[in-house]
Amino acid sequence: MELRQTLRTLASMAILVVVLVACQQGESVDVGDPGTTQAADGGTVGTSPPDTGGGDETAGGTLIAAQGAEPDRLDPHLTSAYASFQILENVYDTLVQPGDDLTMEPALAESWDISDDQLTWTFHLREGVKFHNGRDLTAEDVVYSFERIMDPETGAANAYRFESVESVDAVDERTVEIRLTRPTPNLLVNIGGFKGMAIVPREIVEDGTIDTHPIGTGPFRFVSSSPDQGILLERNPDYWQEGLPRLEQIRFVQIPDPTVKLTNLRTGEVHWVDSVPPQELEALAGDDSIALERVPGGDYHYFALNHAREPFDDVRVRRAIAMAIDREEIAEAAQFGAATANQTAIPEGNFWHHDYAPFTPGDIDGAQALLDEAGVSDLTISFMVSSEFPETVTQAQVIASQLEPLGITVEIDDVDFSTWLDRQGQGDFDAFMLSWIGNIDPDDFYYAQHHSEGGFNFQGYSNPEVDDLLDQARVETDQEARKALYDQAVEIIVDEASYIYLYNPENIGAWTTALDGYHVRGDNAVRFVEASLGS
Amino acid sequence: MTEPAAETTVGVVAHRSRLRTTAETVLRNRLAVFGLVILVLLVLVALAAPLIAPYTINEVDVANRLQGPSSQHWFGTDELGRDVFSRVIIASRVSLQVGFVSVGIALGLGVPVGLIAGYYGGRIDSILMRLMDILFSIPAIVLAIAILAALGPDIVNAMIAIGVVYTPIFARITRGSVLTLRDAVFVQAARSIGASDLRIIGNHVFPNVIAPIIVQTSLSLAFAILAEAALSFLGLGVQPPNPAWGRMLSEGRAFFQQAPWMAIFPGLAIFATVFAFNALGDGLRDALDPQQRSIIESRGRS
Repeated sequence: MELRQTLRTLASMAILVVVLVACQQGESVDVGDPGTTQAADGGTVGTSPPDTGGGDETAGGTLIAAQGAEPDRLDPHLTSAYASFQILENVYDTLVQPGDDLTMEPALAESWDISDDQLTWTFHLREGVKFHNGRDLTAEDVVYSFERIMDPETGAANAYRFESVESVDAVDERTVEIRLTRPTPNLLVNIGGFKGMAIVPREIVEDGTIDTHPIGTGPFRFVSSSPDQGILLERNPDYWQEGLPRLEQIRFVQIPDPTVKLTNLRTGEVHWVDSVPPQELEALAGDDSIALERVPGGDYHYFALNHAREPFDDVRVRRAIAMAIDREEIAEAAQFGAATANQTAIPEGNFWHHDYAPFTPGDIDGAQALLDEAGVSDLTISFMVSSEFPETVTQAQVIASQLEPLGITVEIDDVDFSTWLDRQGQGDFDAFMLSWIGNIDPDDFYYAQHHSEGGFNFQGYSNPEVDDLLDQARVETDQEARKALYDQAVEIIVDEASYIYLYNPENIGAWTTALDGYHVRGDNAVRFVEASLGS
Repeated sequence: MTEPAAETTVGVVAHRSRLRTTAETVLRNRLAVFGLVILVLLVLVALAAPLIAPYTINEVDVANRLQGPSSQHWFGTDELGRDVFSRVIIASRVSLQVGFVSVGIALGLGVPVGLIAGYYGGRIDSILMRLMDILFSIPAIVLAIAILAALGPDIVNAMIAIGVVYTPIFARITRGSVLTLRDAVFVQAARSIGASDLRIIGNHVFPNVIAPIIVQTSLSLAFAILAEAALSFLGLGVQPPNPAWGRMLSEGRAFFQQAPWMAIFPGLAIFATVFAFNALGDGLRDALDPQQRSIIESRGRS
C-alpha cells in the first residue's frame, strides 16, 4: 500500500533536522588560540578487502550514497533539511569553511584582513574559480548571495547570522568588504559555518532553477534528480582544489527505513549510509566489509519546560525535574552507549566545554523536597515529541518512568514535525524535546536559546544577568575572556533549568571499506571531495 | 414479545427453533468453537489484565533491555527493558475496546441508514446509499488515516475513524435485507392496520434482518482490530508509553535481529484475535445464513 509506505517513510525521517550550524571563534581575528579540539580521530574498524556485491557502476567510480530522507528542496539559502545539505555540501562552496578540526579555513576566500576597529573585514577571493555553468566567480556573486540571505523578502532562516552586518560590497572583481555594526568575533562561522550561506550565481535564482537544478562552485555538479534514480552528481573538472575530487559520480538514493538502508550497505547495494541505528553498532563493528567510524560530536539533546505556564514558571519545579532524571539511563536507552550524558550543552574535548554538573543523577529525594517547597503535587506534564525523531519518543518514555516516583505523570504527545514546530512557535506546550546539531560557536547555542531576545527561546527564559553575559560575550574578541563569560552564563542556565540538557550523541558513519578518504566530521557535514572508491 | 397474538405464536416458535439450530450449528463447527474459546479467554485476560500483569506498562529497566524470554519475563523485554508479556496483555484491552466501540459506532450509524434507505427507497435511498458508496470507495485504512490526520492521533479518534470506515458495510447489508422484506406480506399487513413506519421498521423489519448483521459484526470485529493494529503500527493510534499491539510490532521491527520476541508476541496476539473473530464469524454465517449454509451442506452431501 503506497500511502502506508509513505507514512512509514515519514516516521523514519529521523533526519529532517533544523541544521543550526554555528561557528568557531574566528581564528584570523588577531586573538590567540583557535582552541577547538573537537572531532577527534574516529577509529576505523574493518580492514579486510571490500565486498561491494555487484553493481557495474562501482567500476567507474560512482559512489552510491543512501539517505534516510528525501531533500525537501535544493535552494541552500532556504532549505533547513539535513538531507538537502548532504547533497548541497558537495555542490556549493562558502567563503570560508570549517576544516576537519572545525576551525574556519579558507575556501572561496583565499585570505582576509580585519581592520583595527574590528568593524571592516576584507575578503580576497581565489583566482580562477568557475561556477558549474562555466562562468567565473566574482565578488558580485558573493555580494548577491549574502544580500539575498539578508533580504527579509527571501525568508532565509539564516538571515539572523548577518545581524551585525551593515553592508557587503564588491571593492573589485575579487575583493569583498563586509562592514559591521559591532565587533563580531564569530563572523567567519556566521558566513561560512555550513552551506546555508553558499555562494550562488544570480542567474539560477532569477530563472527559478535554484530549487531544482543547483549550480555552484563545489567539487561536484548537479546532473539530475528523479524519484526512481535518486540524485546524480558528477565530478566538476574545473574544481579549484588541484586533483580533486576523485570520484566520477555520486548517486544519492533515498531509503527511509533504517533497517533496509543498513541491509543495502551490508549487501553492497550502496556504499555509504547517512546514519546507523545505534542498536546495530555492535553487529556492524564485527563486519569486516564495513568501515564504522564514531566521532564525539557537538550535538546535544535536551528538553525544555514552558516557563510561561504554571507550575514551570517556578524555578524549583524545573530544578526538581532536572534533578530527578537520570541522564545516563536516558542516553543509554536512546543511543545504546553511543552518547555521553551531560548536564551542559557542550561535551568534553570541545574548547567551549565547561565542567559543570550540579545535579546528582536520579536524586528523587532532593527533587521531592523542592516540589514540596513549591507546593506542587500530582503534576501532569504533556511532553511534545515527534516520531520523525524516534529518539525523542524513546527518551520521553524513559523520563516518564523516571519522574513517576515523584507523582509526576508524563503524557507523551507525539505529533508530526511541522505541527511540532508550529506549536513550539506559539508556545503551545508544557515541554518539548529535540536536539541541536552542528554546534560550533556558543553564540548560536546559547544566545538564540537563552537570551530573552533570542530567536529560539521558545521556553520563555528570561534572566537579565544571563542576557548581560551573553551580550558581552558576543562582542568579546579575546577567546579566553569570551569563554569565561559563557562559562558563567551556562552555570546559571543549568541551575535555573532553562534547558534541561541530556547528552551528546556520537556522530556515527558507516560505509563500505572500498570507500577511501571519507571521514565522519564533528559537524556532521557530508563531504565527498576527497573520497575515492577502490576496486 | 408484545405483539398481536397470531404473530407472536409464529414468531416465538420460529425464534426458539432458530436460536437452537443456530447454537447447534455453531457448536458443531469445531473451528468456531475454538474461536469462541480464544475469545472468551481473551476477554477474561483483558478484564483481569492489571491483576495478571507482573509489571507495569512503562517499568523501564535499561540494564535488562532486549532480554529473551525467561521465567522473570515470559515474553522477554523490549528496548527499554520493559516486560513484553505485561505490555501484550495490557494492550489486549485497547484492541478489544477499539474493536467493540468502533464496530458499535459502525452498527449505530450503518444499520439505521440501511433500514431507512431500504424501507423508504426512492430518493432517500439514492442519497443515503450514494453517500455510503463514496465512503466505501475509499480504501478503509486510507480513509481512517485521513480522519485521524484531521482529528489528531489518539485512541478515541481511532475508534471514530474505524467506526466511520465500516459504516457503509453495515448500511449495505441492512439495506439489501430490508429490500427483500419491504413488500413482504407481514409488512403489508402491518401497514394496512395503520402501524407507523417507525413501528414497522422496529418491530417487523429489523428483527428479520438481524442475522446477517450479527455475522457481519463478528467479521467486522476482526477487521476493526486489524485496522487498529495497522493504525497504531503507523503511530496513529494509542500514544506511548501505552502499549498497543500494532505499535509494539512496529517498534519491534527495528530490533528484529537482536530481539525477535519484541515483534513475535504482539504479532501472535493480533493473529490469534483476528483468527478467533473470523472463525466465529464463519461459524455464525454457516448457522444464520440459510443460503450459504445450504450450499455448504449440499457440498457436504455430494
